[in-house]
This record gives sequence, C-alpha cells and structure tokens, in this order.
Amino acid sequence: MVDPSGGKLSDLLLSDVPPVLRSRDQEFHEIQEAKERLEEEKNILQIKFNAKTKALQDLEQSMEQEIQNRTRELKEKVKDSENSRVALMNMLEDIEELRQREENEKEKTLAIITHLVDGLVFFDALDRVSLINPRMESFFNLGREDAQKSIGKKFSDFIKIPALSPLADVLGAALKDISREEIIIDKNKAFEVSVSAVSGQRGKIGTILIIHDISREKMVEKMKTEFVSIAAHQLRTPISAIKWTIRMLLDGDLGAINEEQREFLDKTYKSNERMINLINDLLNVTRIEEGRYLYNMEIADVENVVAGLISGYEDIARRKNLKMIFEKSPAPPVKVDLEKIKLVISNLIENALKYTPASGKISISVNEDNGGAAVRVRDTGIGIPSDQQDRIFTKYFRSPNAVKAETEGTGLGLFIAKNIVEGHGGQIGFSSEDGKGSSFYFILPPASPKE
Amino acid sequence: MKKILLIEDEELIIKLLNKKLTIAGYEVSLAMDGEQGLAKMKQNVPDLVLLDIVMPRMGGFEVMAQMRKDEKLAKVPVIIISNSGQPLELEKAKELGAADWLFKTEFDPREVVTKIEKHIGH
Repeated sequence: MVDPSGGKLSDLLLSDVPPVLRSRDQEFHEIQEAKERLEEEKNILQIKFNAKTKALQDLEQSMEQEIQNRTRELKEKVKDSENSRVALMNMLEDIEELRQREENEKEKTLAIITHLVDGLVFFDALDRVSLINPRMESFFNLGREDAQKSIGKKFSDFIKIPALSPLADVLGAALKDISREEIIIDKNKAFEVSVSAVSGQRGKIGTILIIHDISREKMVEKMKTEFVSIAAHQLRTPISAIKWTIRMLLDGDLGAINEEQREFLDKTYKSNERMINLINDLLNVTRIEEGRYLYNMEIADVENVVAGLISGYEDIARRKNLKMIFEKSPAPPVKVDLEKIKLVISNLIENALKYTPASGKISISVNEDNGGAAVRVRDTGIGIPSDQQDRIFTKYFRSPNAVKAETEGTGLGLFIAKNIVEGHGGQIGFSSEDGKGSSFYFILPPASPKE
Repeated sequence: MKKILLIEDEELIIKLLNKKLTIAGYEVSLAMDGEQGLAKMKQNVPDLVLLDIVMPRMGGFEVMAQMRKDEKLAKVPVIIISNSGQPLELEKAKELGAADWLFKTEFDPREVVTKIEKHIGH
C-alpha cells in the first residue's frame, strides 16, 4: 500500500530541480504519477475486488444457505416420502391380509357348500347357473361333466337336462320361491325341494335351489303307517267279537238280564264303539298316507246325501237342546266316493254338535258355489282361538279349548276330511271366532264341466 | 226252515252267529274253513252262505270262485262277512258276485239277520 502523503512530498521536490534534471525529474515525476495512478487504480480495483469478493462471498454464503435450506427441505421430503412408503406398505399388507381373509372365507364357504348334505344350485341375478355342489350331482346322477357344462346356462335350459326331469315337474318353467315341495323319485328315494331368492343390500343377488333328502323319513313314515295299519286290523277282530257279544247280551239272546246288567252292558257297548271309531280313523289315516283311498266314484246329489245324514243326528241335537236347521238351494251333481264324502259331512256335523253348548244353533246348508257344490256347517259353539287356527287340519291336533270342552276325540277327523275333499279336487276351509262359533265349508267340483 | 251255511274261522263269531240265527229261525250248519265249507254245501245245498274272507286252507274268494263253477251252487247268494272293510276286498267280492257284504265292526248280529232276511226272507 502507498502512503497517501508521499505524493505531495514528491511534488515539492520536483519544483526545485533544474530543467535537465527537471526532465528527469519530470520523467520521474510522471513515472511517479503514473505509479500513483496505478497505485490508485490498484486501490480502486482492490476495493472493487474486495467488494466483488465480498459479494461473491455473500452470494456463496446465501447459496450455501439456499443449499442448506433445499437440502433440509429435500431431507424432509425424503422423510415424508419414506413415511408414505411405509404407510403404503402397511396398506398393502392390510389389503393382502384382507384378501387372504376373504380367500379363506371363500374357501370355507366353498368347503361348506361342497360337503353340505343337501344338494344345492345357485343361480345368479339373471337366473343363470353359477354353482352346483357335488351332492346335487349325485342326487340326480348328474355327471361331473354335465354339471360343469351347465354352469352359465339359463334356468330354462338347465331344467331341460333329462336327469332333472323330476325337478322340472315341481319347479315349472321359471324360477319361483318354493317351500319344501316333495318329489318322489322312486320307492326308496324322495326329496324335498326349496327355492328362495337371495337378496343383498343392493337388491337381488340370485336364487338358491336346495334339495333335501327325505328318503329315510319317508321310509320311517311308511313303516309307521304299515304298523298302525296292521295293529288296527288286528284289533278289529277281537273288538268286533266284543261288540257282537254285548249286542246279543243286550238283546236278550243269551238270556234275560236285569236293569243293572243292562246299564253296564250299555256303557261297555258305547265304550267299545268309541274304540271302533278310533281304529277306523287310524285306518283311514293310514290309507290316506298310503295313497290308496278313493274308490267307487259315483255321481251324487250332495243335498240328498246331507239330508240323509242330518236325520241321524236330530236325536242328539234334541237331547242337547240344539237347534239344527238345514237350508238347501240347488247345487250341481258331483262325482264322489260316497262313503268318503259321508265321512266328511258327518265329521263336520259331529264337530258342531260336540262343540256347541246347549241352546246353541247349528245351520247346515248346501248350495252352488263357483259352479261346484258347497256344503257349510255353521255353529254357535266354542270356536277356534286364532292362534290355533293354522293347525286345525293337522293330524292328531286338537285345540286346547276343544280338549277342555270334550275329552273324547282323536284329532283325526278334520285331517281325514281335508284329505278326502282334496282327493276329490275340492277345497275345504273355515272361519271361526273364539267363543262365538265356527263355520266350516267344503266345495266339490261339478261332475262334468258346465257347457 | 231256510238253511244257512256259515263259513268262518273265529270261534266266538261262529258261536254268536249260530245262536243269533237259530233264534231268528234259521237252520244253521257250520264250517271252519273254505275247504270244509265247500264240501258241506256240495252235500247239502244251502239257501244262503255267510262267508269270511281270510281263513286257513281255503279263503272266501276261492270258495266263491269254486261255487261259480258248480251249477248247483252258482245261484246261491253269498254274504261276505269281512274284518277289514278294505275297498279292494269289497271290489273283488262284487266282481265274484257277492250278494251283499258286511264289516264286522260296523254291523252287529241283529243287522246280520236283517240282511239275510232281505235276501232270502224267512
């Protein structure tokens, strides 16, 4: 660095020197000046340089800062993404777990369906076969291949498979809900068919067809029926002998009897008659169950049949102080097994007599109904409680209020009546109010359709 | 006196019917099975046969079939006395030409007499 005061000193020295010298001096001076200018310039440059340097340093510093910031940001971002990655991994793991669980569920469901003792077919929402389980295949001797081939088939085509013809009879041409319809394949094989639509939260998912094997139940039922039939037949002979013996004793054929003996014999005879009725009911039931029941179909006028039967009950009605009226209007002739139809009418009248308290009223009517012949028996009796009404035609069923009113009764009468009426292609029904009375009716189709 | 042949294997029923029919004024002969019955009626043709269905050796249906083949017996009325009341049994009895039938549980001896009177009188 040059001392700033040095310049002035040289100026003073130069003014005092001679010209020759002066030129040297001057030269020197000029050099000196130049030197100084240079020095000055150098200084300026130095300053500039310093300034630039400073700026550069600043820049460098700020860049450094910037880099640091960026780096930090970057690091943060990296960390973030690291976190996201971990989160993503976790999610994937969760999804995998869910998938696995679903897979397991699916496997479990499939295993259940496969090993189900029932045959099963699942149809999708468009009624196309989407699943057939092995039991279904074996029930109908449906080959594996045939079963596989039918996947995706519409129900209407599926049901045309020859092996499934027994099913077609109950199912018809379109899928509809069915509850436990029986189909008999042969002597040793019987199934129960159920069809029900399956709905999810978003509406119909499909339809499920379930085949339940009831061969065993059928066999047990048949054995039971046979047993009852044999037992009842065996009972008839000794019971007949008792009946005949008592009758002859009562008639005095075996010698005179006194009043007390007559009273006892009379009661015994009536007891025996009840036993005979029970046996007859049981035999009727077994015949219904064996499907051999209606014989001797003949053309008859229901009103004559009813009229003939009513006369036999007038005595009982009078004794019980019941008013019994018969209203008849024209009804078409019907083709019936007369003995069986008499059984139905008697049953309805006897029930009315049995379950109507003294001074009540029983009205019996015959008239035309929808082209057929209708018989109605109305009473002012004890009625059927509403919670018992759906069981009234069930075998052996007796409503508790009926049992209370009349201890005698097998619970078979209405079961038999229903079977007889339905066997004739007719229908049977009732309306009743607890404590007020009942009205039973049955309608038989006309002997020949009206022209 | 009208002659009735009773073919029945139940001893008590035989006793009861025999008594009842005798009181009613008929001459009663008895057979315990179909074979015996057929032999008896060939010997002495009755006015009416009371016939059980289920019997040892020869059953009632076979007896009827044999009677139809025999000129002397073909016209003799037969009343079936049956235990079972099975409609099939009844059908077959009709086919073989039974004049009437009665089920033991539904009839009693008094009504048997009524039925007999209906067919052959007293």
